[in-house]
Amino acid sequence: MTSEPTTRQLLPTATGRQTWAALRGELALLPRLSAVAGTLLIAAAATGLVAPWVLGRLVDDVIAGTDTPRVIAWAAVIAGAAVLAGLLTAVGAAVAARLGETVLARLRERVLDRALHLPSATLERAGTGDLVARAGDDVAVVTNVIATSGPAFLGALLSVVLTAAGLFALDWRLGIAGLVAAPAYAVALRWYLKRSVPYYARERVATGERAQATAEALRGAATVRAYRMEDAHVARIAERSGVARDLSLEIFGLYTRFGLRINRSEFVGLAAVLLAGFLLVRGDLATVGAATTAALYFHRLFNPIGLLLFESDSVLQAGASLARLVGVTTLPDTAAPAGSEPNRHDRGAPAALEVTVRQHRYDDGPVVLRDIALRLAPGERVALVGASGAGKSTLAGIIAGIIAPTDGAATLRGVPLTQLDEHRLRREIALISQEVHVFAGPLGDDLRLADPDATDAEIAAALDLVGATEWVRTLPDGLATAVGEGGRQLTSAQAQQLALARLILADPAVAILDEATAEAGSAGARDLDRAAVAATEGRTTLIVAHRLSQAATADRIVVLDQGRVAEHGTHAELLRAGGGYSKLWRSWSMPDPVVPRERESTDQPVPR
Amino acid sequence: MTVAETTGGVVLRRALRRQRARVAAGIALLCTHQATEALVPVAIGVVIDSAVATGDVSALLLSLAGLAALFTVLAFAYRAGARLAFAAVEHEAHATRVEIVRSALDPRGRRSGMRDGELLSVTASDAELSALVVRVAGLTAAALTAIVVAAVALLVVDIPLGLGVLIGVPLLVVALQRMAPLLTRRSTSQQEALAATTALAVDLVSGLRVLRGIGAQDHAARRYAGASRHALDVTLRAATTKGLHLGLTTTVNGLFLATVAGFAGWLALQGRLTIGELVAVVGLAQFIAEPVQTLGYCVQLFAMARASAGRVARVLGAAPVVQPGDAGPPTPTPFRLALDGVSYAGLDDVSLRVRAGEILGVLAYDPGEAEALVALLAGRVPRADHRGTVRVDGVPADELHIDAARAVVLVEQHDVALFEGTLRANLSAGASVDDEVLRAAVRAAAAEDVLAAHPHGFDRLLTERGANLSGGQRQRIGLARALVADPPVLVLHNPTTAIDAVTEGLLATRLAEARGAGTSGTVLITTSPALLRITDRVTVIDRGRVVVEGPHERLLASDARYREETLR
Repeated sequence: MTSEPTTRQLLPTATGRQTWAALRGELALLPRLSAVAGTLLIAAAATGLVAPWVLGRLVDDVIAGTDTPRVIAWAAVIAGAAVLAGLLTAVGAAVAARLGETVLARLRERVLDRALHLPSATLERAGTGDLVARAGDDVAVVTNVIATSGPAFLGALLSVVLTAAGLFALDWRLGIAGLVAAPAYAVALRWYLKRSVPYYARERVATGERAQATAEALRGAATVRAYRMEDAHVARIAERSGVARDLSLEIFGLYTRFGLRINRSEFVGLAAVLLAGFLLVRGDLATVGAATTAALYFHRLFNPIGLLLFESDSVLQAGASLARLVGVTTLPDTAAPAGSEPNRHDRGAPAALEVTVRQHRYDDGPVVLRDIALRLAPGERVALVGASGAGKSTLAGIIAGIIAPTDGAATLRGVPLTQLDEHRLRREIALISQEVHVFAGPLGDDLRLADPDATDAEIAAALDLVGATEWVRTLPDGLATAVGEGGRQLTSAQAQQLALARLILADPAVAILDEATAEAGSAGARDLDRAAVAATEGRTTLIVAHRLSQAATADRIVVLDQGRVAEHGTHAELLRAGGGYSKLWRSWSMPDPVVPRERESTDQPVPR
Repeated sequence: MTVAETTGGVVLRRALRRQRARVAAGIALLCTHQATEALVPVAIGVVIDSAVATGDVSALLLSLAGLAALFTVLAFAYRAGARLAFAAVEHEAHATRVEIVRSALDPRGRRSGMRDGELLSVTASDAELSALVVRVAGLTAAALTAIVVAAVALLVVDIPLGLGVLIGVPLLVVALQRMAPLLTRRSTSQQEALAATTALAVDLVSGLRVLRGIGAQDHAARRYAGASRHALDVTLRAATTKGLHLGLTTTVNGLFLATVAGFAGWLALQGRLTIGELVAVVGLAQFIAEPVQTLGYCVQLFAMARASAGRVARVLGAAPVVQPGDAGPPTPTPFRLALDGVSYAGLDDVSLRVRAGEILGVLAYDPGEAEALVALLAGRVPRADHRGTVRVDGVPADELHIDAARAVVLVEQHDVALFEGTLRANLSAGASVDDEVLRAAVRAAAAEDVLAAHPHGFDRLLTERGANLSGGQRQRIGLARALVADPPVLVLHNPTTAIDAVTEGLLATRLAEARGAGTSGTVLITTSPALLRITDRVTVIDRGRVVVEGPHERLLASDARYREETLR
């Protein structure tokens, strides 16, 4: 992950105070629910204290030699408390879940909304890696902790607080005796957290590396076999799996040592309570019943305290994830202001686009573009040709408004792109790059990302225009067939056809295709080129061309060489000019009889 | 069938057998732990009875010392037992995982019928889950011990009371367990909904540039919000069920406690129980529910382990795809590779010859037929599935030992797979090769930019699957890797589809220099005119049959269809 020297840590993480403030803000939005949930949970925990207290009174009464009805009465009190506690617990858990889960759902939706609307400049610098981790892993961590450990943790916390209060209410001296255990617990917890949190981070990394090595080997199995590298890959996976296993074992060792310290604390507390009870009873300051209640109270605490301590690290992890999520929500919001969406029927009106780049460089790097002035007339199709590194993609990015030139500007219908809001800009100028992505789920859903209101007929028309009708028809469930991750794997040519179909459905005024048909298997290449032409019909279009046939069909060709425009003109003009383009074209479109092939003499080799 | 029948049961039994030492010791210690846990309430009762109620100092010291001893045994038994059980699971999971990977990478291929994604989840989670059978064994034994100890303690105090508790508790737990299927169902759908939401978020953010390219972020955000709301609904339903179960458990446990306390109090009033015994009975009645619940949990855990073991067995027991022979490397002949009347997946009676020193172009008008040819040449097609013969240096390929066949014929795929590691490791593919050889191959593949653009040169690190290279760079590094391997027969399938025109022309010229001399044969399965131009001959396949053969220039001049298919 760290092979490239650039730091990717560009997304903010909230401080503890900001995180709390954000949480309080969310809870304040649901004041009644918060109040009801809090009351119910506290009441449920409080009813749990009745039974040990009654048992203590029962002990006293038995010692005093009471009668049977009194014993039955005490039992009835325990039973009544049990029914009440059950009711409060059930309703409290449901209400608390409604509160916590609603807050969480709102948070994750806001996180994803901000992530999706990340300003282009930030996205280009930060990449999607960290964003994916936050929208995926962090949300999952917080969600799981809240859904699985949350209620138990909260219940245990309340239980501990109230039981401690109950112990004090019983007899303040017994309460103090119980508190003797607190420092022992605290020391144990501090000891554990100091060690476990970094350990868990290492374990996650190790597990990730193991999974990565495995995925790579399985996906590349054909290559692994072809080069006879099975043993090396198995060894690498075994090594990484071993590292992850050993770390897990070490962590578990730590965990059990923590358990040992907790057991010790339990003993210290229990012995202190019993000792205090003994002294108080002897000094006639408390009854045997009170001492019994205290011991039972304390014994009752074993489980909730253990749960609090053992869950503390996952709660801490959830807290860290939460801070990263709240951090994302502090990013500026570039989402569409309501009503800024271009009217569905106004979209796609051809527009003129102009770009001037006196010079462009990335940070302090070398100049990658200079002295470029280019105008795309409404509806014109311009092809950009040049070797790798000539600056084609950078120029395409500038024209798309994704990269701001160091010195220069791009305008759409005479308006500088920097003055258009991000949302409007993206609906007007579409950019289809080499990066294809098939969205997981039904094929129809993938396409409707471009236009949620598209009818089946419109979708069918778009697919037809890009020449995808035939293979879509062969899908088992047509448009409902699951594609992408976890679904049917599409070929890169099919994926690119989908990208072009999305372009048609999005219906922008300007289309920029940055090598959008490059990865296709060669046989599909021409079909894809045709699809690209069909999809951009009537739009102002810039095509970064891989194959010269794409250039040949364009209205105009711009040849870039080392960041400058080397030639421009129509295909015919450039051929007549006899420059670099015409040479390239000739070497491509026909065999070159002028250059004799060097290896003709090896036609009849002598076998060794 | 040469592979022994492997079932889930076999996998589970093997796990227990392999880890038997750890399992046996772990069980003994965990049982000790549970027994001592059961004795804690009894001990509290003893302290109250003998010391608190009597005010006897020496009894107090003695009973507290006893309590300390109990806690010491309890703590250390747990620590050692849990560690052993955990280690058994982890070691077993690791061993299973390595076996699965080895089987999945078997050079002969395996018919597990699983896709990569499934295989991945089998290695990641099923290996771990099937190993949990070891934990089930430990927990079950420990829980049974706890129940027995508690039962004996109760019966010693009072036989009717003990019997009542012993019968009552399991009945209650079983009754409460009746909600378990509903709970499981609800929490499974909750987990599914949450996992789907996470997957959607990851998918959308991964495709963020694509979404932004067409201004579809708002639509995507709305789609996510919909999924998130659905997950919320499902989660709330699950939480309500869980709350209900929790409340019910609380009530039932409380009512049971009330009954036991009332009865034991009455017995104490009759003088049949001491105060300490009263405390112990109440404590034990509460404690005994735990091991009984553990048993219920073990049943679920075992079901999970068995299901996972079934999937593990499917991978480990899968039969090989091809059955290679055991002939050693063949002696080189003038025809390095020959197909005689081969029919397979659309190919119909195809015959091909690749001479030593020759670069043969193959142009299949249907990409599917090109794929079929690649599969055949890569040795991925079992003998029974195709007609005709594939010969390597005159020897039928399926008579060769798998390593001998792979030593002669190397297929570099169209979608190049690179691996995390240095550029050097990727280029040399595990062999030890001079930097000069690597440099020459990189040059021949016109991939100098990958090397030159980076300060670390050959030590440059590639990330997972070479993701930090562009598609074109990956293809050229794949080609360079194949040239480094320098196999007697090299098969390249569409090696330049992601490469720009200028670079492709350069690459073609250098490839001809690299492979055109000597006694090696090269097959270029491609539609690229730049590559076809450097071949000695082109074999054209249309509708499964070889329709025409000849030099590229001649075909270009004489065959209209050929011209149309190769013109870019």
